[in-house]
Amino acid sequence: MASLESIVDPISSETYQEGSQRKRRKIGHDAGNDQDSLPAIPWRSETEQRTYSSKLVEALRRVLRQGSSSTAKPRLGRDVREVADRVLAVTARGRTRWSRAILASPLSRRKFQRQHKKVKKAANGLKKPEVRRERRRLPAVQRKARVLGRLVPGCRKVSFPSLLEETTDYISALEMQVRAMTALTELLGGGAPANRLG
Amino acid sequence: MSGQKSCRASNLNENEINDLVWRLQALLPRLNRRTDSRVSVSKILKETCSHIKKLQKEVEELSERVIELMESADITEIDEESLRRLLLH
Repeated sequence: MASLESIVDPISSETYQEGSQRKRRKIGHDAGNDQDSLPAIPWRSETEQRTYSSKLVEALRRVLRQGSSSTAKPRLGRDVREVADRVLAVTARGRTRWSRAILASPLSRRKFQRQHKKVKKAANGLKKPEVRRERRRLPAVQRKARVLGRLVPGCRKVSFPSLLEETTDYISALEMQVRAMTALTELLGGGAPANRLG
Repeated sequence: MSGQKSCRASNLNENEINDLVWRLQALLPRLNRRTDSRVSVSKILKETCSHIKKLQKEVEELSERVIELMESADITEIDEESLRRLLLH
């Protein structure tokens, strides 16, 4: 998938600035400090969505051309998901951990995750009973933070503040992804099933 | 934990964390209508997890639809004009 990165166009910094100002106003808190440490991608701006949409279409065309006869249908659906995520990560311009994690992961990302879960279960049996009890006593916040860390790519072992920052950015990015892909399905004529031609 | 230095550091972290948690809450449609003082961090994290899962599921479903539409419309040559219309809204 190295071709994806070659699609990246230099994006003007103007939209970035106006986008982050917009974000500040919306949130309303004086977030002067942390804005510097993690510059915000203006996921809500139309320009970002347009950028993402065009890169996505470009990448999807390649997927279709490559997998015309050989790839089975269900696999192709998963491929689209992967492409969509990778293009999203590229659009993030390497500023967040979750985006770098997506780009660094091999193509069969999901297989890896399943294996990881299996390994964990086996290890539980070997642990001493005291340790097991201790794990149940973890405060609710920590337990939930752990779950969250598993949902956001590349954030299993980051500090709590970093996790929160990454999550905030990740959610905004995901929402943009949903908006862009919804618009794409409408463009392709997927609004209502009756719309299909021929 | 009792040294003065670590007290100051943990204070800074606490403010920083609260700030980040509130920013997160602002993104959650089901929680950001209430005053932030009433919603616990635990609840915010829980809602965050379900919100992310919901979004990821939506992306998955949209991916399936995109591929169905692309195949049925035979769209390896996607209509350039419609695309331009979409992108230059």
